[in-house]
Amino acid sequence: MTEYAIEVNKLTKKFDDFTAVDNLSLNVDEGEIFGFLGPNGAGKSTTIRMLCTLSQPTSGNAKVAGYDLMKDHAMVRENIGLVAEKMIMYDRLTASENLRFFGKLYAIPKQKLEERIDELLELVNMQEWKNTQISKFSTGMKQRINVIRALLPDPKILFMDEPTLGLDPQTTFSIRDITRDINKSGVTVILTTHAMTEAEALSDRVAIIDHGQIAALDTPHNLKKMISTSDTTIFSTRITNLTSQLIEKIKSLEVVTAVAHDNYDLKISASGSDSLNQIIDTIRREGGNISSIVNTAESTLEDVFLTVTGKDMRDHANEKSTTYNSHGQTPKSRVR
Amino acid sequence: MNLKMDAIKILKDSYHVMAKDILEFRRNRMALVGLFIMPLLFLVMTGFIFPSGNTQQHMQVGVVNLDQGQGSTEFITQLGTMNKNSSSMNFKNYSSVDAAKTAINQGKIYGAYIIPPGFSNNLTNGQSANVIIYVDNSNPQVATQIEGIASSTISGLNGVMAETNVLKLSKETNQPVNPQAMVFPYTPNIQTTIPGQTNYFNFLAPGLMIMIVMMAVMTGIPEAISKEKEMGTFDGMLSAPISQLSIILGKTTALCARGFLQAILVLVLAIIFFGVTIQGSIFLAFFMLLLGIFSFIGLGIMAISMVGDQGTGTMIVNLLMFPMMFLGGIFFPIQQMPWIMQDISKLIPLTYAADAMRKIMLLNAGIGDVVTDMVILLAFGVVTMAIALPLFRRSMAK
Repeated sequence: MTEYAIEVNKLTKKFDDFTAVDNLSLNVDEGEIFGFLGPNGAGKSTTIRMLCTLSQPTSGNAKVAGYDLMKDHAMVRENIGLVAEKMIMYDRLTASENLRFFGKLYAIPKQKLEERIDELLELVNMQEWKNTQISKFSTGMKQRINVIRALLPDPKILFMDEPTLGLDPQTTFSIRDITRDINKSGVTVILTTHAMTEAEALSDRVAIIDHGQIAALDTPHNLKKMISTSDTTIFSTRITNLTSQLIEKIKSLEVVTAVAHDNYDLKISASGSDSLNQIIDTIRREGGNISSIVNTAESTLEDVFLTVTGKDMRDHANEKSTTYNSHGQTPKSRVR
Repeated sequence: MNLKMDAIKILKDSYHVMAKDILEFRRNRMALVGLFIMPLLFLVMTGFIFPSGNTQQHMQVGVVNLDQGQGSTEFITQLGTMNKNSSSMNFKNYSSVDAAKTAINQGKIYGAYIIPPGFSNNLTNGQSANVIIYVDNSNPQVATQIEGIASSTISGLNGVMAETNVLKLSKETNQPVNPQAMVFPYTPNIQTTIPGQTNYFNFLAPGLMIMIVMMAVMTGIPEAISKEKEMGTFDGMLSAPISQLSIILGKTTALCARGFLQAILVLVLAIIFFGVTIQGSIFLAFFMLLLGIFSFIGLGIMAISMVGDQGTGTMIVNLLMFPMMFLGGIFFPIQQMPWIMQDISKLIPLTYAADAMRKIMLLNAGIGDVVTDMVILLAFGVVTMAIALPLFRRSMAK
């Protein structure tokens, strides 16, 4: 019998007449990155808030890390970490003071806490900023602190609500890398996003959620395959030492149908299940330094969304509407 | 055992929250400056706006002498001598009643003494001599003062005159008498239970201390809680395995610390600059402060639990606080208020807190003397808390 990290059973949340989450049931496997994809107001954040014990469900129940959400608040809390949409930190305190404060709330022993803080700062490469006030940080730096804050108690499950919203491309990549590292160390990650790329770049499985209900749930690949008419895929990759020779080499590959580039960013259109491996092999063989490679099939996942919900996702995403640039970035402005 | 562990955990977490809040506050320079300036400003401001007693001095008063005799000159000299001590009046001569009246109406003088013709004659003929006093009744407060000063001056002059007459009589009849005892058989001897002079700041300081703590805590709660709610940092605390009680306890303690600092500042300034003396136990006074805080904290939590945002919360708290400030007997005794206001005062916890503080600090009252105040404050605190905490919990779980 497999133990699930999270078992959600008919979870419902109503605000007066409005049903934010409607009879939601799903299981999240231990160790996977599970993505909630949906427009604003679809019920993603409300679901996460309920699973973090921050919001009382109207009905239904869930087991988080094996503990009953309704009966065992304290144990649920000890086993989860939360990266909320609004950053959880105090501007007037330094990075270490922030981490220390939250660490103490988890009753981590002093010595262990200091070690943990150093370890986490190292994880996001911010040791030198340890004693600097948050107010002096850039948004990207803040988000890195925000992420490691959630990791303080060494949680089994990490909830991340729109973790790359409003970040520049570099920080977005770095946050995604950090997320993958965290996941690799055995932490189950629950992620919400309204950006297709984000869901696709990170998640093992994606639940497309609309009107508080699951419209579709599968791996990104299967979701796309479900409705795909052709097997063409677009890869967005960043190569720090890109040369025109390298571009020619990629173009000459059989699986590649087209290549477009902008500075160090490449968009490669390819078909065939082995296309990604072939492209990576080629780049590596030519000495190319891949800083990231993303399967940017936004349109495809968007098509999935369109198919399963019957409407265009961007219709809902008003103030945070997604604007994609050459490498499928998340929006620039963060609405507070 | 488990319960005890829980209690310790709650207290520990409260301490962390408090330490964090204080650290945050310490980093806020402007707020720190405000923290120190406010007590001084309050003390100086309230001290000057609400003057103590009839202390107005050097009021311009006219004198019109229509009498040509010696009696009127003597009267005016005596008036001058009597006024020398208090210097409450400055005299100015006018030649006619009309001139003096015009001067009153023009606001140049507050009132006038008119010595009518035949004043000296009446005196020498053993009749009582009239002095007419005009007052500016467009300004009731000054009019009352002039009236009071005039009648006390006249009665003083009467006394002097009577003593002279008695002395003269006793000499004529060869009977040795004490003229003062004859004329003033009764003399009041006013004593106070508080050593030192009657001082408005003595009245003001204890009330101001409790008020300043109240303001710090009451305005602080909506700020502290909704700010974190709006910033999103509240979620960080709530998703950690700590009790909501710890958050509210920690935050309130941090605010109390701020309030206490200000209260101590009020006390020190009042002692150094405003001649306030303390008779009672300072520890009991601070315990009373604590009880006072406990009594109105529930109201603050209630306010913030019922409204969502910081702005509305602050508004509601101000709405609660202003009547409390003015009806709580901080600036003037509630006994001076109309009966309906006195009744309303009795519903306000601040009234009891200020009353008890004053009794302890000025009258050296012990716990036994303020036990009624304490019970009322405790009851008020328990009842409001019992309503506020579930409301707070519910507002958090939204």
